[in-house]
Amino acid sequence: MNAAFDFSASGLVQSRRQMFQTAGMGMGGVALQWLLARDGFGAVSGGAPNKLKDGLHHPAKAKHVIYIHLVGGASHLDLFEHKPELQKRTGQLCPDEFFVGKQLAFIRSQPTLLGTPATDQFAMNPSGQSGLRLSNLLPNLQEVADEMCFIRTLQTEQFNHAPAQMFLLTGFNRFGRPSIGSWVSYGIGSENEDLPAFVVLVTGQVLGAGNSAWGSGFLPTVHQGVEFRTQGDPVLYLSNPKGIADADRLKSVEAINALNRLRLADVGDPEIATRISQYEMAYRMQTSVPELMSIDDEPKEIHELYGTEPGKTSFANNCLLARRLVERGVRFVQLFDADWDHHGNVFGSLPKKAKDVDRPVAALIKDLRQRGLLDDTLIVWSAEFGRTPMAQGANGDGKETKAGRDHHKEAYTVWMAGGGVKKGHEHGMTDELGYKPAVDPVPMHDFNATLMHLLGIDHERLTFRYQGLNLRLTGVAGNVVKGVIA
Amino acid sequence: MQPCWIRPCFFVPNAVLIPSAVAAFVSAVGAAAPQKKVDFNRDIRPILSEHCYHCHGPDAETRDADLRLDIEAEAKKDLGGYFALVPGKPEESEIWLRVDHDDPDEVMPPPKAKRDLTPEKKELFRRWIAEGAAYEKHWAYEKPVRAELLPSVKAQVKNEIDRFVFAKLESEGLAPSPEAAPETQLRRVSLDLTGLPPSPEELDRFLSEWKSDPEAAYTGAVDRLLKSERFGERWARPWLDLARYADSNGFQADQLRDSWAYRDWVIGALNQNMPFDRFTIEQLAGDLLPYATVEQKIATGFHRTVTCNVEAGVHPEENRVNQVVDRVNTTGTVWLGSTIECAQCHDHKYDPFSMADYYSIFAYFNNTPVEVENPSGKGVSFDFYGPKMELPLDAAKQTERASLTAKLDELKGRQKTLAAANEKDRAEWESRLLASAAKAPVWETLEIEDFSGTGGETCERLEDGSLLVKGELPKQTTYTVKAWTKVNGIRAVKIEALTHESLPDQGPGRGDRPNIIVNEIRLAAATGGGKDEPVALHGAVADFSQNNWDVGGAVDGDPKTGWAINPEFGKDHWMTVRTGGPIPANENGTLLTLALDQNYGGGRTIGRLRVSVTADEPAAPDLPEDLTAILKKPAGKRSAKDKKTLDEQFAKANPKLLALHREIAGVEKALKAVEPDTTLVMVEMDESRETHVMTRGNYLAPAEKVGARTPAALHPLDPTLPKNRLGFAKWLMDRENPLVARVTVNRWWNEIFGHGLVGTLEDFGAQGDPPSHPELLDWLAVEFMDSGWDMKHLLRLMVTSAVYRQSSRVTPELLEKDPANVLHARGPRFRMSAEMIRDNGLAVAGLLSTRMGGKPIMPYQPPGLWRQIGRNEPVWVDAKNDDRFRRGIYVVYRRAAPYPSFVNFDAPDRGSCVVKRGRTNTPLQALTLLNDPAYLEMALGFADRVLTSEPSADFGRRLDLAYRLALQRTPSDAERKQLEAVYNERLGALDEKAALELLAEPLTVVKAGFTGDRRELAAWFFLSNILLNLDETITKS
Repeated sequence: MNAAFDFSASGLVQSRRQMFQTAGMGMGGVALQWLLARDGFGAVSGGAPNKLKDGLHHPAKAKHVIYIHLVGGASHLDLFEHKPELQKRTGQLCPDEFFVGKQLAFIRSQPTLLGTPATDQFAMNPSGQSGLRLSNLLPNLQEVADEMCFIRTLQTEQFNHAPAQMFLLTGFNRFGRPSIGSWVSYGIGSENEDLPAFVVLVTGQVLGAGNSAWGSGFLPTVHQGVEFRTQGDPVLYLSNPKGIADADRLKSVEAINALNRLRLADVGDPEIATRISQYEMAYRMQTSVPELMSIDDEPKEIHELYGTEPGKTSFANNCLLARRLVERGVRFVQLFDADWDHHGNVFGSLPKKAKDVDRPVAALIKDLRQRGLLDDTLIVWSAEFGRTPMAQGANGDGKETKAGRDHHKEAYTVWMAGGGVKKGHEHGMTDELGYKPAVDPVPMHDFNATLMHLLGIDHERLTFRYQGLNLRLTGVAGNVVKGVIA
Repeated sequence: MQPCWIRPCFFVPNAVLIPSAVAAFVSAVGAAAPQKKVDFNRDIRPILSEHCYHCHGPDAETRDADLRLDIEAEAKKDLGGYFALVPGKPEESEIWLRVDHDDPDEVMPPPKAKRDLTPEKKELFRRWIAEGAAYEKHWAYEKPVRAELLPSVKAQVKNEIDRFVFAKLESEGLAPSPEAAPETQLRRVSLDLTGLPPSPEELDRFLSEWKSDPEAAYTGAVDRLLKSERFGERWARPWLDLARYADSNGFQADQLRDSWAYRDWVIGALNQNMPFDRFTIEQLAGDLLPYATVEQKIATGFHRTVTCNVEAGVHPEENRVNQVVDRVNTTGTVWLGSTIECAQCHDHKYDPFSMADYYSIFAYFNNTPVEVENPSGKGVSFDFYGPKMELPLDAAKQTERASLTAKLDELKGRQKTLAAANEKDRAEWESRLLASAAKAPVWETLEIEDFSGTGGETCERLEDGSLLVKGELPKQTTYTVKAWTKVNGIRAVKIEALTHESLPDQGPGRGDRPNIIVNEIRLAAATGGGKDEPVALHGAVADFSQNNWDVGGAVDGDPKTGWAINPEFGKDHWMTVRTGGPIPANENGTLLTLALDQNYGGGRTIGRLRVSVTADEPAAPDLPEDLTAILKKPAGKRSAKDKKTLDEQFAKANPKLLALHREIAGVEKALKAVEPDTTLVMVEMDESRETHVMTRGNYLAPAEKVGARTPAALHPLDPTLPKNRLGFAKWLMDRENPLVARVTVNRWWNEIFGHGLVGTLEDFGAQGDPPSHPELLDWLAVEFMDSGWDMKHLLRLMVTSAVYRQSSRVTPELLEKDPANVLHARGPRFRMSAEMIRDNGLAVAGLLSTRMGGKPIMPYQPPGLWRQIGRNEPVWVDAKNDDRFRRGIYVVYRRAAPYPSFVNFDAPDRGSCVVKRGRTNTPLQALTLLNDPAYLEMALGFADRVLTSEPSADFGRRLDLAYRLALQRTPSDAERKQLEAVYNERLGALDEKAALELLAEPLTVVKAGFTGDRRELAAWFFLSNILLNLDETITKS
């Protein structure tokens, strides 16, 4: 169908490129389609490197990211932290320094300690060659422990969901800043000109930070995450209305572009040339996106591996879609999964949630590995904060509940796998009660700096001029955590 | 809160950064003119700012060697026998020696700072010292003055603007473009002033006037447009971006809140051309004006638009401090064009604002109350609070409200009398209740024989007699169950909504939010297999009812009320309801048919259901615990709330009182409908808060106390002004303020011409772009003040200038020389804003509704987009009436999920102040215009309009009309040929059936009056969709 579009006829398309060069806007070959599209600000900084394999600032270890965010804050303590001392001291009042003068979201009186139940269901067994401990709640992930690289001491500065989500994902606790995926899009663009660089997949409700979790802030909006939905149109407005077949749409797009070309010849504004190419791409997306979103043709063993069912909305389906997206060159895929905010009855609710994600995430690692994509793809398991080693016994209205855990910002576990991180490794360690780092704390900006580093981006040098300042994802801080890099 | 990140503003070394097109161009021009005297502001300040100030600038904290270069006296002081700067003598100046040094330990800037100077910059620096090292105050902090002599130019001018712009053009060897065609001029100025294209009538009138006197025709049109009420709607959009106006809180929950009266105030103020000083003062401090009017208070909504986090566990004081920070920063951006927020954690790195300055401004805004509160006083749940003001009601509503209030008083009086008369009954009722509290009725679980759901659900019967509902999950449903029972004399029915592991989060609801909402319960009984007789139900009681969803709503005959259980998810719940009297049975038993209406939507339906009946005394079936507790208290010890609870229960249980109770509920509901609307306003507390500098921006680390005062580096504060927000607002609008007039006219220039005279609209400080036309900027700023801050006067000057009226055609030469059109050798041409694209489409289609003001509207958006975590509200309900054709400015702005087609065209989320929207060009925009049902509806409206207004079936004449409507011009032969081919092809391809299918999309309704040929309409619909997608259609050119 590409033959239907012939843009070479217009010399002015070329002039637009010349214009970028004339104006000194560094424009590389990568992601030209998307980058050509942005025009928003008088001041547009270039981003695309000339040769992507060399990275934007240094050689890249990973070319793609699949970033899994467990919305609400998964109980890292019960999934990944082996803390016998905490188990032993369950029920005792927590030390004063865990509570006095601390900002906690729900806990309002000195709480007791809460260890993971000492049962087989919750046991934290050494797995693989590396002997990393993962809970029995995650039997499939235990099988790929040797691929995983834990950071046990991630620290955030926010203890409410929406601000913490923004802080993790945009480096700033209030509205207005670009998300990490949009920074990456701005920095290195997409490898597939038919698809956006940054795609978002959501299961359950949208997180509290709303669309700003994948917004582009002050960056041009072409860099915002595009949500691919598994119900309704996969991309908003992708489908033609009833009564307009694909061939009809081609006719109308051809007519629009023919008329736009006439206009271009008449008024000479290179913006029109860009618009012509965007209509061409929109038309191509109408085919490429539904094809990408349909998992019907995946073989049976893949469905068994992930636990996917075509036509369903599930986290498993989203994991498989994530693989299909990176296979097609999408740079940054972000998965959000809701309902990890276990203030009450954590031991009742966690097993079910763990079961939802264990098999598909493990499948993703195995599947990428068997396709030779794991080395190029960085998988991230993260959340806006962790959960307290102290018990919370009441809900938001003050009513008593079964024990749960409150929001915890002092230290929590996240992990990465693939693209350039150490295998079967753990970085940092918390104290015996899992409250705060004992060694190697990793502040949030260090974590984000490390993700950027793996993609070949120097977080200090990927900046955007806004309000007179060269702003970046990591504020004024951030040190790459060298200890996790292979 | 962690302080350091609130506004990170250090310079970032060695950035991947290309200066803005404006700056790049200006400096390129500067460099191209060799040996022009070095200009401090143009050439040197940016170098100092970029390369030196980080260690030798305004921030005392990071200053090295006690040397600061931003102040002339400091830079030239004796450093103990040597000098940093010796005017005229680079070789004696330490700065030059260090800049020119070879030793990496000596050279400045030090290599580790990654701020190396290019040879060109070094040379500029040397020349500057050689030429005398003269400092100038930063241009933006000097008061603007009118140039004494206007430049004289060769080109034909229309007003003063042209002199400045053409003089610069001529100095660059360029000539202005010819004047645009009259149609183009009218289209351009109509879009700029009203956001709408000219109607065919306006176009005709204009063109006929043009024939006799082009200037009079044009200025006449400008006058008409400036007077149009559409003007305020169009110009409110950029102001509301600055004001970060939205209809929701932001953050988790992100509920809607009312401040649309403020939006309407802005539209009204712009329409009446309120002088900008008054416009400012009323928004910042209208509440503090003497005898403040309602309107002046509404205006203060400007600073109540800030985001507010009400998620559980929030700390109200932190939320409040964040809000004040936002108010201070937004004020600095909007009125001072300054990034004063940089001084929140440390002294500003580049501009003369200290931390003490920052918190002294903060002190002006630090006296409003906390805006979230814990409604129950228990736990950590919060609600949006903060001052609201009631809006005045119109006369009709006032009358209605008075009569309803009177009626309510009367009914309550009767209720009281009746209750007194019923005192004996009441006592009996209470003792019966107490007795039955001890004696629980015996319930028999029904063996349900037949289950059906209107949503096509199925069910599985579990061992305990409950039904697990499965299969389809419709949004709304009615369950009907049938069961035979032998129980004789049924007095009550119990309905249980039970949890189950297969339900989302254990249920008891089936939807992703496991609430249940039972709107109405209906029971029929057929004794011994006889006729179904409806059974009246009353006296509903539940173990728990959600706020505003009391179980009584399930038997009140109102399908909108009902029983719900949020937030008590994951638990079993029950409700019971009384039959009017015992239902008689014979030996064959009774066939019961129970229907449960669950029409809330969103699948809030029961996941596991069990039904039981009892023949026991149902005086108080399963008393809720709290009621039992109240009953056990002696009458004297009961609180007012206890008494109210009992009264309500009694009324529900007593048939005599029940009718009255329902009537009262009805009046209360009607009263709610005429309750005055409210809006958020600023209210000053009686007692001021103390303000402290916050160490590194952390509110938990207060340092020295500061009072309210204005920044030392700006114009002085008149001591007679009040020491509050009002005084501050008046200080901002002082004629001595060097910034406010420039910053404001620059934004309008940007809006009209596509980029500002200063490219960084939001930053006039040392790091901002220098103005491309400094004398013009100053002339406009002074003209603005001299005119009495008259916005329309300034806009008129801009749109009547020859600069504005040029053709926007881009020649290869211009593209090469001035790609961004900074020099204005051609007229403006750029894509419209999101709202304007929508409004333009509606106007072209003839669908636009010009109804103004009021609550925000919800035109069509794809389903499922409002599904954020948190609370049940709000729900998107597509407007079916003309509301969906109203202007974009009225579309509801929800921060977590703004209107998606607007987002695709660069609308911000309004979570923070936005000075300049992006202007991207993306495939998602193409998809929006091609396929968004809202735009398809416009295409159909457009087709209908063309066919109806041009009934002769002449394609050429119809196309002429369509072009006049959409583009205000006639199609060229090539365009005509292209479209006629498409039309004929479509007409040939569409049979009647295909045409009807094309026209049958749910949104796109063919107008009732359409009597023409449906095939033609369908083919034109296709064509209209093409026309609405043209680059030219969505571009101001």
